[in-house]
Amino acid sequence: MVSQQLQTGCKPKTGQFTAMPETPSKELANSLFAVATSRDKRAFAFLFQYFSPKIKRFGIKQFGSEAQAMELVQETLTSVWRKAHLYHPEKGAATTWVYTVMRNASFDMLRKMKSSKEECISEDIWPLIDEAEPGQHEFSDHLEDKQIKQYLDRLPQAQREVVRGVYFQDMSQEQLAEHLNIPVGTVKSRLRLALQKLRNEMGEQHD
Amino acid sequence: MIKHHPSNELLVQFSEGNLPATLSVAVAIHVEMCPVCQKQLATLEAKNANTAFEDVVNDDDICFDQLMFDNITSDESIDEVYDQPAIKVEVKGKEYTLPRALTRIGHSSFMQIGKLARSRIALDDGALRASLLHIDAGGEIPDHTHTGFELTLLLDGEFSDEDGSYVPGDFMMLDGRHNHTPKTTEGCLCFTVVSSALHFNKGISKLLNPIGNLIY
Repeated sequence: MVSQQLQTGCKPKTGQFTAMPETPSKELANSLFAVATSRDKRAFAFLFQYFSPKIKRFGIKQFGSEAQAMELVQETLTSVWRKAHLYHPEKGAATTWVYTVMRNASFDMLRKMKSSKEECISEDIWPLIDEAEPGQHEFSDHLEDKQIKQYLDRLPQAQREVVRGVYFQDMSQEQLAEHLNIPVGTVKSRLRLALQKLRNEMGEQHD
Repeated sequence: MIKHHPSNELLVQFSEGNLPATLSVAVAIHVEMCPVCQKQLATLEAKNANTAFEDVVNDDDICFDQLMFDNITSDESIDEVYDQPAIKVEVKGKEYTLPRALTRIGHSSFMQIGKLARSRIALDDGALRASLLHIDAGGEIPDHTHTGFELTLLLDGEFSDEDGSYVPGDFMMLDGRHNHTPKTTEGCLCFTVVSSALHFNKGISKLLNPIGNLIY
């Protein structure tokens, strides 16, 4: 089996001062997208590698304990893995989204330590989902959204990822082709197949 | 238009997740109602992210934790998150929709004394207590001061005090130096966070200790 990690082992410290590397914003956003649409472990390995040491550093500052810092790394990266589909590139940088996930996990951990309660209320305070635009969506739309997601899960993975990309993450077909590294024509044909299938499943009332 | 916002300091602490739970919920409700603070919060979060995730050379010292990686990725399912349906409460025959932040956090039923009614928010937060406070049309809270602080966030309706009148979303943080007598013509529902018992200042109001206990 091919190892998932991008780099093996620890790099020796060179002792040289190098220019601060640029944040690889596009790679991070692309990786979140690949994790969301195809549970891509290689992409997650990139995020894991990039964020683990930084979250750990933040955790040590926050909790003053290495064990708790590692718990924060685990909590945050688990959420990144399981909630990557809630990230919307048009709302901000990938780093900002991961920061909010980490801040929420840290808040819940601090509260657990203080009140020894298991309740997690960070997502009540800082919701990771978009609030509905006031006046634009009725509640029935949310139900419908939920239903569409259930239908989506029944699609083959290749079709599901183009539908998710175009309709849930608002990417253009060209952007999506670039993300998935496939020709635009393939995006179009997968989308057509997926929509046909959804239509069959959902019945005629959705014309 | 909303005129009273959380202080910048409060918003910074909120963005970093460092405020106590009751105050965090209060700021979250205000932010939900206030486009200005929504923008400011987004800016702060982006700034915090840059600081927290700044690259440092030492990062390379940390090995890839293969065990943790395998633990996390062994489960391929995702967490679906859905909007919760809004919660409505009825007080004195009037119906109010609670802010999104309160849809999953519980609250007690309303206790009433005269024109005041209070429901306690189910948040264990040390000396801080959060409540929904309803003042019925024509009601007022007697002149009082407090030793700690009192946060009042107007959710619905209107009220006014010595300093002016307030609209839904207005966020008022008062400390021991202020006295005030909020009054409402139409009635109102507020979210309050109080850090210690209120002290009533004037003659007959001194007999109103039960109200002090009710609204603390």
